Amino acid sequence: MEIVVSVLIDTALITLTLALAAFGLAIIYGLIGVINMGHGAMLTLGAYFTWAGMGIGIPFVFSVILGGLIVGFIGIILEHLIIRHYYDNPFDTLLLTWAFFLVTTELIKIFFGPDFRTVTNPFPGFIDIGFYKIPTYRTAISILTAIFIIFTGFVFFKTTTGIKIRAMIQNQEVASLLGLNISLTYKMVFGFGCFMAGVAGGLVAPMVSVSPYMGDMYLVRSFFVVIVGGIGQILSGTLAGSFVIGGLETIVALFSDQVIAQVAVFLFAIIILRLRPQGIFSEK
Amino acid sequence: MAIKILKNISGENKAALIIFILMGLLPIFISGYIIFILPQYMLFGLLAVSLCILWGYSGIISFGQAAFFAIGAYTMGIVFKGGGEINPAYVGIVCGALLSGIVALIVGYFLFSVKVRSSYFVLATLALSIVVEQLAKSQKDITGGWNGLFVDRITLTIGPFIEYSLFDDIPMYYFVFFITLLSFISIKWLMASKFGKILIGIRENEDRISALGYNTSFYKTIIFAVSGLLAGLAGAIYGSHAGFVDPSLARVLFSTEVIVWVAIGGRNSLIGSLAGGILVASLSNYLNSVTPEYWQLIIGMIFFIVIIIFRDGLAGGVEKTYNKFF
Repeated sequence: MEIVVSVLIDTALITLTLALAAFGLAIIYGLIGVINMGHGAMLTLGAYFTWAGMGIGIPFVFSVILGGLIVGFIGIILEHLIIRHYYDNPFDTLLLTWAFFLVTTELIKIFFGPDFRTVTNPFPGFIDIGFYKIPTYRTAISILTAIFIIFTGFVFFKTTTGIKIRAMIQNQEVASLLGLNISLTYKMVFGFGCFMAGVAGGLVAPMVSVSPYMGDMYLVRSFFVVIVGGIGQILSGTLAGSFVIGGLETIVALFSDQVIAQVAVFLFAIIILRLRPQGIFSEK
Repeated sequence: MAIKILKNISGENKAALIIFILMGLLPIFISGYIIFILPQYMLFGLLAVSLCILWGYSGIISFGQAAFFAIGAYTMGIVFKGGGEINPAYVGIVCGALLSGIVALIVGYFLFSVKVRSSYFVLATLALSIVVEQLAKSQKDITGGWNGLFVDRITLTIGPFIEYSLFDDIPMYYFVFFITLLSFISIKWLMASKFGKILIGIRENEDRISALGYNTSFYKTIIFAVSGLLAGLAGAIYGSHAGFVDPSLARVLFSTEVIVWVAIGGRNSLIGSLAGGILVASLSNYLNSVTPEYWQLIIGMIFFIVIIIFRDGLAGGVEKTYNKFF
């Protein structure tokens, strides 16, 4: 029983952390159909900005927000200069964001150096529930992720902005005839996705070593979260996908090593890609 | 007579002819490091061609070419380690190419037979690359883990008595040169055949080709397998030329480099891709020695510019200039 509870807690934490990392990608892919291959680099950027912010004495929380804002701003510039001209050609946006990834990774290496950096954990320690110790920081960001998702859901379904965005997804032409500024909405969505990637990078930074390549692994896993969860199912899909990917990885890792677990998850995701390309829980 | 023949062949074939004649004559004029390293770049050129037939001809992007290259190279290393009665070089090359081809066939069949979206296919190949890299790192007993495997140079044998070692640079150079030439001609022939034309049709309008009664999934699967086969072949020989294989061969960054070569060389041109592989790999090597910090940044910038402005790459540029003056 105690093992079951501790595995459940672990799975919940992993699910929410993965959902945090994948959220920015899911928003951009789900709403405007751009496969943002630069997502991993944006995560890395967020982590480095957080590290730099703390280095000059800004508290952790503000460093993360500031990092997210800078990444979001970079995203809007990228969208304005390049991406918006290629919305009708998904392959080109894929390659261009990949080029962004290459250039950004190199710039990070030049500015911050190739060495590993560490961001001090703001909440070290554990919550002791008797038979199991839950890391405080991971609990905190899991709760925060849940808040992010609920907040986005609220904006999406309960506010005028949300109605406009949903109208745009349903029928772009009619939405623009009704006076919706499509290009501005696209820009805001892209910027918000990048902002979330930057925030996610800053938030995971205390749990991992910050290095120029830290985003790579998150990029691929985030993609699988989005694919397994189902594209367009931004909120429930991201959670479901994270649960499947993260939960599976935890369970397989119990019986074998971490590498095999990762390989198993990737193969599983490829199988899902074939059998249920619309996502594991989506109907249709 | 010679001029008459020259007039009858197309611009691209002319370019190919010039490049191959230049590469064939090069060891007469220079020696040393360039002759040692050029075969490696020719193999990279073949790897670039293996992507060109997917991207340029069939409209499929693969982020997993490094995985096939690594499968070929590791097969070569493992066969050499195992030894055996038959010349391990032959076994390694054949098995390396076949194994990569079979992996590509399975992955291709698995995904294309249900018409998975092309952007999903990109992600699946990306994952394939990571899976191969992780396996190479973790299966220490077979692959040597992080330390990799040492591979001997190829010794050619004909029957039990004739042996010819490719330990020296010039024999190795010509061996790789002829492999490159033969592979290039075979691919060129394949792409000029009806099969290649159907692929171009799929790239232009898949629905129409399928309405004409062709099974487009079948064609895509086959071309992906051919691409894997070619990448595996190049990888197997690369293993023996470099003398060493390690997990970094399968890393996503290397797959990306292949995309950069093809983008710069010209995605619609086989000879452009081959030249792109050779030139950009040489340039990377040169930049790496001049500015170790900035070379990857420079390559990344060039990639950006090529995608945005010069969509046909080097081959397109050469063709335009040529048409202007002749």
